[in-house]
Amino acid sequence: MITLKNIEKYYANKGVKSYILRHVSTHIKQGEFVSIMGPSGAGKSTLLNILGMLEEPTYGEYEFMGEDVLSLNERKRIELYRNHIGFVFQAYHLIDEMTVAENIEAPLLYKKVGGAERKSRVADILDRFNMVAKKDLFPNQLSGGQQQLVGIARALVAQPSIILADEPTGNLQSAQALQIMDLFKKLNEEEGITIVQVTHSEVNAAYGSRVLHLLDGVIKEDLAVEQGV
Amino acid sequence: MFRLNLKIALRNLWKNKVYTAINIGGLAIALSAFILVAIYVRFETSFDHDVPGHEDIYLVGRVLPDKKTNYTSLSLAQALKEAIPEIESVGRSRGTNFEFAFNTPEGRVYGKEVLSIDYTLAKMFHIEPKTGLLKPEGDALNVYIPKEFIAALFPKKTPVFPVKVGVGPISAGQSGEVSGMINHNSAHSNVVFDALIIAGDVGKNQEPSANNYYTYIKVKPGTDPDLLQKKVDAVFKEEIKKSMVTAAKDRNSAELSMVPDVNMAADVNTLKKSGVFLDPLDNLHLRPVAGNNTNYKIVMALSVLTVLVMVIACINFTNLTIAQTNKRAKEVGVKKVLGAYRLNLIFQFLIEIFMQCLVALILAVILAEIFLPQFNEVFGVSFSLWKDNYELAWQLPVVLLIISLISGVYPALVLSGFKPADVLKGNLQTSYKTLWLRNTLLVTQFTVAIVFMAGLLIVSSQLKYMRTEDTGFKAGQVVYIKNIVWFDRGYFDNMKARVMEIPGVNSFTVASDIPDGSRPGRVNYTMAGKELGMDIVHVDFDYFETLRLKLKDGRFFSKTYPADAENAIVLNEAAVAAYGITQPVGKTIRGCDMDYRIVGVIQNAKMQGFEAAVEPTVYTIKSACANGKMKLMVNIDPDQMAGVLAALKSNWKDLNKMDGDDFRYEFMDELYGRLFKKQEQLQAVFYGAALLTIFIATLGLFAFSAFTITTRMKEISIRKVLGATDYNILSMLNTFFVRIVLIANLIGWPIAYIAAQRWLETFAYRIDLPILPFIIAGSISILLTLLTVSFQARKAMKANPVDALKYE
Repeated sequence: MITLKNIEKYYANKGVKSYILRHVSTHIKQGEFVSIMGPSGAGKSTLLNILGMLEEPTYGEYEFMGEDVLSLNERKRIELYRNHIGFVFQAYHLIDEMTVAENIEAPLLYKKVGGAERKSRVADILDRFNMVAKKDLFPNQLSGGQQQLVGIARALVAQPSIILADEPTGNLQSAQALQIMDLFKKLNEEEGITIVQVTHSEVNAAYGSRVLHLLDGVIKEDLAVEQGV
Repeated sequence: MFRLNLKIALRNLWKNKVYTAINIGGLAIALSAFILVAIYVRFETSFDHDVPGHEDIYLVGRVLPDKKTNYTSLSLAQALKEAIPEIESVGRSRGTNFEFAFNTPEGRVYGKEVLSIDYTLAKMFHIEPKTGLLKPEGDALNVYIPKEFIAALFPKKTPVFPVKVGVGPISAGQSGEVSGMINHNSAHSNVVFDALIIAGDVGKNQEPSANNYYTYIKVKPGTDPDLLQKKVDAVFKEEIKKSMVTAAKDRNSAELSMVPDVNMAADVNTLKKSGVFLDPLDNLHLRPVAGNNTNYKIVMALSVLTVLVMVIACINFTNLTIAQTNKRAKEVGVKKVLGAYRLNLIFQFLIEIFMQCLVALILAVILAEIFLPQFNEVFGVSFSLWKDNYELAWQLPVVLLIISLISGVYPALVLSGFKPADVLKGNLQTSYKTLWLRNTLLVTQFTVAIVFMAGLLIVSSQLKYMRTEDTGFKAGQVVYIKNIVWFDRGYFDNMKARVMEIPGVNSFTVASDIPDGSRPGRVNYTMAGKELGMDIVHVDFDYFETLRLKLKDGRFFSKTYPADAENAIVLNEAAVAAYGITQPVGKTIRGCDMDYRIVGVIQNAKMQGFEAAVEPTVYTIKSACANGKMKLMVNIDPDQMAGVLAALKSNWKDLNKMDGDDFRYEFMDELYGRLFKKQEQLQAVFYGAALLTIFIATLGLFAFSAFTITTRMKEISIRKVLGATDYNILSMLNTFFVRIVLIANLIGWPIAYIAAQRWLETFAYRIDLPILPFIIAGSISILLTLLTVSFQARKAMKANPVDALKYE
């Protein structure tokens, strides 16, 4: 599904290149659950942003579902977000001025999904996440775990083929974190959604099927995780 | 999606109530000023625009060696019509320069301006009586009275026209026929009258050499004005040659006529040097060739001012909107990640700003309605938002679109340009890229505010100077009594003796001119081999005493010298200086075919206000060339003012047998004070503009400082943790803004200085440009800055550093 070839990212400052990513090459298959791990400053988030097309690599090749992403124009790239990619953020990034239901509905608006279908899909997902009662609340009226659930619901409602999650449990207490990770695992196993997450936590990584260890912008290890935790 | 965006917009606006209010309020105030000025400018620039073909109508005027005048000769119109085929029609008007009474048994109306016009002129201007415009038969004069006066004249019911009314003083027993009622808005036309006489030929039975006609021509559309001007000039020169012979012959009789300009016409030398000009009707009100263009300057200044204020308000709006970008950045990032195109976002923000502008516009209309009465008072007009201002119906939506675009495009581009990867990392550092722009905007705003503040103070100083400076005469206790008949000396002496009997009357006199700003007639006088034009005031005994004019040399007129009533003359200092003589008293001066003996010299009196230098003027009791003595002035002991006025009023019929129907008077100081009206208007404009610009600049500063402080919260917290005191923080925050305002002062001062200098140069008598206004404007701006910034900084000082340093 995703092929990265020799991805490099650096910032040139007064002639000195400071590398964020070096020679990153990997392949992610449909249905994988990949965790990117590594210490602070290893380039995890940058890698995720590049996967999500929020940042461009300085150099290298990136193929997403058979398309060469780097040669796409802005409009095409946005088409890809709309149809294939769901984002989940550490700080949830819900829009404060929108209610829960409206936040979830937003991506469908940009996909130009019809009104009736929007309603039913939002209702559906609220039901699945047990949040029907909270649909008219604003984000600041929810706990962190609940906000992250809304964030995931929002990512899922557009029926993406891949979810990119940047430390999705980083701001959560452990019980809530477990709940979120269970949800990811379920989505991955039952619906075949590809998931790529950045995490610090070994526990979270154990939910996935594969771990990429980054250190100073270089992939140090690429391990398959033993299942059955 | 539109509905959702609308909802988000409203929720956002509501959440930032203070900013929204500042944003919308500032814009609304600027817009309301714009609306008022738009109405005023439209009114001032559309005089006679309801006359079909107004762009093809010209007034023909004459260029004389020392001035330009609109008065032309009786015969010019016909000559032009015959000689120049491009001229479609010609028409003349002739005014009377004194008040005229119309009486019925039930009511009386004084017409200040009784205008006689050719039938062809009425046709040219589409001035039509209710019953339709008919060509008067033969020599008939059709008299029409405007609708406004009919009710005063016939309070009970509108009569059936034609109707007989008394004309002039009742005692004179003259009567005339009013042919009908006429609809004409003199307040919005160059043809001004209180009563209109339409004649087949206004020149019939009139002195042929008199130059007291306004000649209007209407040309075929598309006529080249320059070419036309040359042709008209040629015809005019031809006319002069023809009339020179008759003019010389009729000279003596012409001088006896009461029209001031006649003297000009008679002077062959002057005629030789004259030329002609064409003044388009469209320019006639605001910037006539002959006359002053103060109105035009005011209209221009107001237009520039409002556009400036509007732009500043828009800039402010932009500034305030961008100042809030931090709060919206996350929304932008998230939406982009969810699949929004940049265009979607631009559109969303534009709609949001458009909505605010719409609310501002509605508020502005309400505000304009509230301020309209004050505005009307200052400008002496009676505007209404809803009457005659159909243009506003399309102008306002256009303005709305323009301000939405001006204030919206930049923020929309900035906001929609955020990169999700930057914004969503959690810690958005505001781009300092836009900082220089915002600083520039702030400097601009304060510059304008400072210019107007300094301007206001300078205009006020000049006005104060004009009110308190010695004018050379004292109008305080003088009452001017209106009168519409000429007096001969015997009649006046009788009347004077009886008026002087009233206790409290200090002196009583009559003259051709009073100090109300009007120019007296002009006559050439010769002394020491020099022939010079002198303003001539036709006076009577006690004129100088009544107005408390100051004697420089010699003496005033006095009854003890009987010759004073025959051939004595008093000069003012300017006249003496013009002839360049010393010891003028006792010398002889010749003018109007008579020798006069100079008995005294008075100090210059600024009877025409402060703008023009005092003209060389002569005062004499007897002159055939001067205007008639009609204007009565009485100097009254201030303690007995009410009693004297009551006594005069009750006895007026008896005292002034020729024109005693109504005792009509005005206080001389009020009359003179009206000369300052334009400057007072200017002061009011500056007052409004200064308040407006200071208000808007302070709003801008308020928002900008709030924004800066919010974004520097982290820095402030770190400084606090490192041991900065509240005072350190306060001075750190203030220094930046004070510096900006200082720069604005440095830019604003020279602008204000140059503008004020140029304005002051329009006065012959003026103050030296003071330094204080600049210092005051600077101090006020800095004080406001300190207050505004400190108010905002309070929040930063109170805040706990831990909150700001905590990672989200």
